[in-house]
Amino acid sequence: MKLETMRFGTLDITDQDIILFKHGILGFPEQKRYVLIPHRQDSPFFWLQSVDMPELAFVAITPSVCLADYVFDIPDNVQEELEMTTAEQAETLLIVTIPKDNPKCITANLLGPVVINTEKRLGMQVVLDPNSYPVQYPLNSECQKEKCA
Amino acid sequence: MLILTRKVEEKICIGDDIEIKVLEIRNNQVKLGIIAPSNTSILRHEIYLRIQEQNRLAADAPADIQALDAIVSTKEE
Repeated sequence: MKLETMRFGTLDITDQDIILFKHGILGFPEQKRYVLIPHRQDSPFFWLQSVDMPELAFVAITPSVCLADYVFDIPDNVQEELEMTTAEQAETLLIVTIPKDNPKCITANLLGPVVINTEKRLGMQVVLDPNSYPVQYPLNSECQKEKCA
Repeated sequence: MLILTRKVEEKICIGDDIEIKVLEIRNNQVKLGIIAPSNTSILRHEIYLRIQEQNRLAADAPADIQALDAIVSTKEE
């Protein structure tokens, strides 16, 4: 099928490319279907592009690139929701925010990671413990935390 | 919205498998105990709102993919 997007033009995708977020992404409950587009070859960045809203795309990053020790238990309800049978099926991405007025101070959302069952093509934004994970983790070490907040 | 009045130690049931008990009331704070199946997501509402707000900020992503290159280039080098 043809997928119209604002940033990538018209893409040729198959049903297998589509990741279903049954609950959407928080704040965007109507958008349930996304495709994952690598930003560049060998880049840790991805675009989570909405299938049904051409202008909606989130920048996301593989957590291991910026955080060696980012681990969390995938809650039981999430494992059920994503029909997970093994841990290997899960891929985690962090949604990245690029502030318009200060784009160098990009932050990753560690509190609400996106977990995708790559085999079943199911995805979910998981909410973790706010005492352990920040919602705005600065990716650029040059940025003072205050500046990014 | 259904509104119920409960005293300390009293409970409400939601469906067959969720129980909420009022444990303590002090000043303007209520301490609740919740029994629910492990597959039930239970969150403070403000955490939801915080992530929603962050997602809305994130959705305001660069309008073209080259713009992201410019932003992340120093980071990747």
